Amino acid sequence: MLSYILRRMVATLPVMAIVALFVFSLLYIAPGDPAVVIAGDQASPEDVERIRQSLGLDRPFLIQFGSWVWRILHGDLGTSIFTNLPVSTMIGQRLGPTLSLMIVTLLLTIVVAVPLGVVAAWKAGSFIDRAIMGFAVFGFSLPVFVVGYMLAYIFALELEWLPVQGYTPMTEGLWPWLENLILPAIALGCVYIALVARITRAAMLEVLQQDYIRTAKAKGLGQGGILFIHALKNAAVPIVTVIGIGIALLIGGAVVTESVFAIPGLGRLTIDAILRRDYPVIQGIVLLFSFVYVLVNLMIDITYTLVDPRIRY
Amino acid sequence: MDRRTVLKGLAGASGLALTGGLSAPAIAQGAAARTLRFVPQANLANFDPIWGTQYVVRNAAAMVWDTLYGIDSSFQPQRQMVESEEVTDDGTTWTFKLRSGLKFHDGEPVLSKDVVASLSRWAARDPMGLMIKAIQQELTAVDDRTFKWVLKQPFPKLLFALGKNNAPVAFIMPERIAQTDPFKQISDYIGSGPLKFAKGEWVPGAKAVFEKFADYVPRQEKPSWLAGGKQVMIDRVEWVIMPDPATAAAALQNGEVDWWENPIADLVPVLKKNKNISVDIGDPLGNVGSFRMNFLYPPFNDVKARRAVLMAMSQEDYMRAIVGDDNSLWKPLPGYFTPDTPLYTEAGGDILKGKRDLDAAKKLLAESGYSGQPVTCLVAQDQPITKAQGDVTADLLKKLGMNVDFVATDWGTVGSRRAQKTPPGQGGWNMFHTWHAGADCVNPAPYTAIRANGDKAWFGWPTSAATEKEVTSWFEAKNLDEEKAAIARLNTAAINDVVYAPTGFFLSYTAWRKNVSGVAKGPVPLFWGVSKSA
Repeated sequence: MLSYILRRMVATLPVMAIVALFVFSLLYIAPGDPAVVIAGDQASPEDVERIRQSLGLDRPFLIQFGSWVWRILHGDLGTSIFTNLPVSTMIGQRLGPTLSLMIVTLLLTIVVAVPLGVVAAWKAGSFIDRAIMGFAVFGFSLPVFVVGYMLAYIFALELEWLPVQGYTPMTEGLWPWLENLILPAIALGCVYIALVARITRAAMLEVLQQDYIRTAKAKGLGQGGILFIHALKNAAVPIVTVIGIGIALLIGGAVVTESVFAIPGLGRLTIDAILRRDYPVIQGIVLLFSFVYVLVNLMIDITYTLVDPRIRY
Repeated sequence: MDRRTVLKGLAGASGLALTGGLSAPAIAQGAAARTLRFVPQANLANFDPIWGTQYVVRNAAAMVWDTLYGIDSSFQPQRQMVESEEVTDDGTTWTFKLRSGLKFHDGEPVLSKDVVASLSRWAARDPMGLMIKAIQQELTAVDDRTFKWVLKQPFPKLLFALGKNNAPVAFIMPERIAQTDPFKQISDYIGSGPLKFAKGEWVPGAKAVFEKFADYVPRQEKPSWLAGGKQVMIDRVEWVIMPDPATAAAALQNGEVDWWENPIADLVPVLKKNKNISVDIGDPLGNVGSFRMNFLYPPFNDVKARRAVLMAMSQEDYMRAIVGDDNSLWKPLPGYFTPDTPLYTEAGGDILKGKRDLDAAKKLLAESGYSGQPVTCLVAQDQPITKAQGDVTADLLKKLGMNVDFVATDWGTVGSRRAQKTPPGQGGWNMFHTWHAGADCVNPAPYTAIRANGDKAWFGWPTSAATEKEVTSWFEAKNLDEEKAAIARLNTAAINDVVYAPTGFFLSYTAWRKNVSGVAKGPVPLFWGVSKSA
């Protein structure tokens, strides 16, 4: 297992290198010029050129790429063109809120979606099944920002139960941390809950038709034990896969959710950086997201061995 | 017991179990009342007001750095850090004395050498500063509180230049910071103004914090814009960046923020209905909408084509697209200068008044030789103002029978593409939309967009000798009457040659909670004089 993990980690390197080259090239050919944004409307072309020179943006592609790669190899993601802060500092400032949002959403999804999917499979064809799947279609269809605005209107403005916006670190208390994340997590989790519930139902339906389930019933095992201990464990591989793939959904959704709820996370940092053409920040974030995605896939593969002992690496 | 209390109780109980009792310290009501939470117009992405000239940077910098002079609401430069000034009879040698007791945020006194370094950095980037630099003989510190500026020829608008609130503003920084290359960003934010920048709490894109500077010595005069006594009544100003207007509106209604700089017109009716919120015009100088035509390439290299567009355009259409149905938020603008300011004029503006004559405009366009070639129109979709104007222009050009190549893009792309002088089909352009702060359009000094000196002019590179002649006349004017006469001639010349197309004058609201008092109108959000009750 250890050698497998090491092999997978080493295999990450070419993936990251390709991502790095792709992102750098894309930004190089994309229209837009941070020097123009910085210089402002009053600036002369000479001023813009001087700013471009001071930022090193006038250098040839290969030299810019080479110096960026060299810095990355030394663990330096560079400095933001606009804020003059290290990219790693900026990512560090934003990591907490995004991580919190993703963890709460993930927990909410697992706690809600898996039981819903199990119940829907158990009651397949019944009103309960149709109601749960109807909810899933609804969750799939509603854009994150619509759900976000609706939740903010109802629970923050009308009922005044929760705040509209912002983020409080957990160090300032669990409730202040959680109260800022409940509405965003529900908004972000809707699609995810719908997806996982549907996959859970499909996987469970297949497992519930197996002979060993019939045997378990014949032996007189309780319904809960059959569903959640015997059936769910055997249906877990596709569910775990979807939960893992869904993390990519969460990263995408976090961009919108963080804007709607004014959460100072990586999603908003990404948008701000793209709109301003803050190249070092964009490159740093994309690299980070790519690394996280590769890592999540690795974790999913490892999780398979936990839920299905027949899988060995 | 309400639902929120139950939720709090449940989460609190689980929180105790999970964190071993981590809890938030209770914030005293008094402390909350001394913190003003403000939603600015944009993100504070950098904090060097000379290097980056965005309005939001200027607005934040106005709290942190003071100026030698400040322009008041009657557009007059008033002494700010300066105690007195003398000028020789020939107008070439200015001697300034600083007020006593001025301190930087690190406790060091403000000295003449700091002023000299600050003005040198500013003059390398500011259009008026560059004009002064071009005629400068020397700028020297005479003693700790006195400095001298010797010019080769008089520059009557010198005090205006030192006090103007258009970016870049002549802020006074410590010498060690001001010696930074003006094309490189500073990273030390020691200021001279009434509030300190809390660098450690700065999260670009999310939050910027400013704390009251206890050693600031305000002037005794009443505050007026950037002039007068800057008495800070609160301990802390927190800028909360909110990119989504609906979220900002909800946060203001919920009392999570205290002041929102510029709510969008669509949300103002909701805010006006809320009994806890005050809404009023924020900046009385408003904005001038505009689109610029490229003088280098057909069809707009011909003045007839430019006039045809002016003749056909309806400013009301543009303004309604920007501000909606609220008539108090816009005015027609048959000229280029900000309404209700001393130099405002409608001289020569008849082509923009009255019923629009589409047939005459089509005839004039045909006379220009336009024969259906594509007109590349850049429209930034991520800026509501440019998007609204772009949609109206596309409709206008189609009505005129023009072949519109509508380039829907983002502001960053427009920003770089508009600098291209290549033909429209090769990465260039024929038209783009923007707007100018009314504060920049009160006279020609900060008004880059009105200049028509060809290759050196702003994007579109208009050439109009008559316009340039009157810009010079204004700079040389010795009194207000001479200035007014020069501006009337300038307005006429600029409209005749269609330096750019003004789409109208529009205002925007600002909104604050009623427990906040002292919010004053001005071209910059003014935090001195503002207080907050619990």
